[in-house]
Amino acid sequence: MQVPPLVQELIQATNEEAVLWRPEDLMLYEYDALSSRRPPEAVVFPATTQQVAAVVKVAARHHCPVIPRGAGTGLSGGAVALEGGVVVSLARMNQILEIDLENQRARVQPGVVNQDLSLAVADAGYYYAPDPSSQKACTLGGNVAENSGGPHTLAYGVTTNHVLGLEVVLPDGCVIRTGARYWDRPGYDLTGFIVGSEGTLGIVTEIVVRLMRLPEAVKTLLAIYDSVADATATVAAITAHGITPAALEMMDGLMLRAIEAATHAGYPLDAAAVLLIELEGLREAVEEEADSITAVCGAHRARQVRVARRAEERELLWRGRKNAFGAIGRLTPSFYVQDGVIPRTRLPQMLDYIAGVERRYGLRIGNVFHAGDGNLHPLIMFDSRDAQQVRHAVKAAEEIMGKCVELGGSITGEHGVGIEKNELMPLIFSEEDLAVMRKLKQVFNPQNLLNPGKVLPSGKMCGEVRVQVSLGS
Amino acid sequence: MATATQAGVAKLASIVGEARVLTDAASCQACAVHGRVPRCVVFAPSAGQAAQVLQCAAEQDLAVIPRRNGTKIETGNPPRRYDVALSLKEMNQVWYYEPDDLVISVEAGMKWGDLQHFLSRRGLWVPLDPPGGDKASVGGCAAAGASGPLRLRYGTLRDMVLGMTMATTEGKVVKTGGRVVKNVAGYDLAKLLIGSWGTLGVITEVTLKLFPRPPQTRTYAAAVASLEEARQLRRRLLESPLAPQRMVLLDSTTARLAGAALFGDERFQVWIEAAGSERVLRRYDAELSGWLPKAHSLGVNESNWASLADYPALWLGAWRGAAVLKASLPVAATETFIGQAEEEARASEARLACIGMTAVGVVRLALAASLPPDRLASLIERLRTQAVQLGGSLIVERCPADVREHVDAWGPPGDDLQMMRRMKQAWDPKGILSPGRFVGGI
Ligand SMILES: Cc1cc2nc3c(=O)[nH]c(=O)nc-3n(C[C@H](O)[C@H](O)[C@H](O)COP(=O)(O)OP(=O)(O)OC[C@H]3O[C@@H](n4cnc5c(N)ncnc54)[C@H](O)[C@@H]3O)c2cc1C
Repeated sequence: MQVPPLVQELIQATNEEAVLWRPEDLMLYEYDALSSRRPPEAVVFPATTQQVAAVVKVAARHHCPVIPRGAGTGLSGGAVALEGGVVVSLARMNQILEIDLENQRARVQPGVVNQDLSLAVADAGYYYAPDPSSQKACTLGGNVAENSGGPHTLAYGVTTNHVLGLEVVLPDGCVIRTGARYWDRPGYDLTGFIVGSEGTLGIVTEIVVRLMRLPEAVKTLLAIYDSVADATATVAAITAHGITPAALEMMDGLMLRAIEAATHAGYPLDAAAVLLIELEGLREAVEEEADSITAVCGAHRARQVRVARRAEERELLWRGRKNAFGAIGRLTPSFYVQDGVIPRTRLPQMLDYIAGVERRYGLRIGNVFHAGDGNLHPLIMFDSRDAQQVRHAVKAAEEIMGKCVELGGSITGEHGVGIEKNELMPLIFSEEDLAVMRKLKQVFNPQNLLNPGKVLPSGKMCGEVRVQVSLGS
Repeated sequence: MATATQAGVAKLASIVGEARVLTDAASCQACAVHGRVPRCVVFAPSAGQAAQVLQCAAEQDLAVIPRRNGTKIETGNPPRRYDVALSLKEMNQVWYYEPDDLVISVEAGMKWGDLQHFLSRRGLWVPLDPPGGDKASVGGCAAAGASGPLRLRYGTLRDMVLGMTMATTEGKVVKTGGRVVKNVAGYDLAKLLIGSWGTLGVITEVTLKLFPRPPQTRTYAAAVASLEEARQLRRRLLESPLAPQRMVLLDSTTARLAGAALFGDERFQVWIEAAGSERVLRRYDAELSGWLPKAHSLGVNESNWASLADYPALWLGAWRGAAVLKASLPVAATETFIGQAEEEARASEARLACIGMTAVGVVRLALAASLPPDRLASLIERLRTQAVQLGGSLIVERCPADVREHVDAWGPPGDDLQMMRRMKQAWDPKGILSPGRFVGGI
């Protein structure tokens, strides 16, 4: 097979081993964790910032889109080559460049897997706080692009609160450094603007993050409920009491049973819902908070509040939670995860609404989510071979999203907009808001060659077609 | 020119009403920035009108500086030009308040003290102690990226702002973020506006995350004999499980100005404020008494912290004509920097005062000297060089006008200046917002 000129130049910019271009090799890169589209023209694995810059310049000469990619665990289609192009995988740039404990900083390449950073500093008593449930696979570059959260970002903030500086390759191949190793560098906070930009402003090639001290004491509680409404009312009450646990997660009965079958985490099989609550900090503070939270749970008719006694028990409870999406395969051939956010006081109302949607469409919907920050993850289950069910899943998702917006919330808390929700952006932003975003995107990405078709509405596809395409399977 | 401006002023009056445009000498003088006096002061009663004022000013090519109480207006370079002071004084409403959800949206002109007072009725607060204290405004603090010692525990506004609306020079009111604590929909414009010092757009409304006020606080003060001792103490604190709200290292002059007694003839004092229940505070008692043998309260309380938060007033009240500087550094370099600054000051026979938030990497300095302006400026430049060599930066928050001519407020920009310029161009193509005041001449 003839090597196309684009590929030849990409090889020149890197090396033979760093470029995939044969159709059978490209198939793996058609999809991320949301959807599958078309294969890219090539996938490149640069090893250095200079190679990233060189690759970007080659693509620009060919007027070819560039799609940055980490581990491909994204849930909004951000790493998908919507219009073809060159996928730039940062997976091989996976070195931790520097660990500076006195300053509580680390400097890393974007391909470092989230959990590997925490493991690298754990013995010294530190960790990197944002912990997406996908942390064993997802990359820090992907986390920066999506501004990812996780169970433990309730108290400590999401990715943006832990990133101080970046090295970025711009779409014209220029390399800039933003931010610094300390906070408050004078100038516009370009770091804060790039975090969460979903790979549409530049390719992140280096990241300076904050490390945190591991807490002295950790307590994990499992509050067990016979009614979903009591569990959600507890969450609202904990917030209103001004207690901010390190993590506050909820799982409903349907999910509990699926997770228990897959993980044997020790969850009660007959409960309607549980709250998984973690408290961290000074021993004395943790004990007091555990007492107040237990009281709040009791006041909202928790059947039982179990406290994990050993580290293994705690880890097991968390393993169940973090493997929840995987466990759902036991329940359904296909599912569609939503990522809406609502004010926490509205959780009881919202979960009621979701139950109503479930009944109306005759589809099962599981709930496992970051309750403490009002970040829902309803999992809508359907069979993708049944056209009617697919239509209903899409309708159900849209209605849930609409309700989140009506309650004063957002359409995405952590999974990003990508190609999944870009046409829904007008639900929460006016044409004028979007016009400013478009203009600012052009400051970085004037030719729109970097990750085109993501984040902002294109106005090209009507809602239903868009989501069905992205549901793919 | 004068008549063109008069016509412009008349147009502004047609937007906000005659009564909201002042052109008398005293009002204009009161809004002077580095000696530049605007031609008029315009009071915007709403975000929409603020946006119209900006659009009109852009059309008439009138330069605008947004302001509230002016607590931080002196920070920055002198404006290249200045026609309109846009005051947000009338914009001080609460638009949305959900105490059970720990969220509030307020207009940008609301005073920090009023906001905290309002929240205190429900035992809530925004844990930020900005320069300017109660008189600072919400929008001004956001535009300045202002923070104080409380950032040790709670972070800065960058971490607390959930959403924002701003008026643009195109006459639009634009929103970013929302009213929920977690949100990744769309580009985060608030990050750009925070710390943009009034050069991109005018912040008109801010949505903030709220926190419960801690049940009790307790301040431990101790004498610190040397910077080496201060370094050990900072390391020990950061490596410990303790998480105090604030920690500052003060030279004895500053400690005295802030109302504290001295232990003896110590060079420095450290103040550590813990918050929590009685049981938690007893733990601090036990731990800190081990580290700080002579620690006791010295009666340091909320009012001492408040006077410290308003350090420009504190220092300038005592040392007229002092320069007030802020160095931002890697934490590990803070004591070294203070030592170097002391030496430089001594060599130039200047007096130095400092507030070191050493555990977060911020050192504020006051420099007073009977030096000619260019010599004081070059002393500031030497301190800046040292901050930069230690991996940080240094900005001039206040200094006498004749010194300012010789020293840039922000210091050398990085290789992202080009992108910053393009950002400015996108927001403010005519260059009418605080022109020339920011980094790299932006
Ligand atoms: C089982 C499961 C659980 C999950 N749990 C969570 C969770 O708890 N919280 C959460 O927030 N998310 C979660 N996610 C979503 C996903 O893991 C995160 O969005 C993650 O940050 C994506 O990282 P990635 O390396 O896989 O990036 P990819 O999917 O490869 O890419 C994501 C986006 O980032 C861009 N990108 C990647 N690297 C770079 C770079 N170096 N420079 C610029 N742009 C880049 C891509 O173009 C794309 O737009 C979960 C996903 C799965 C499958």
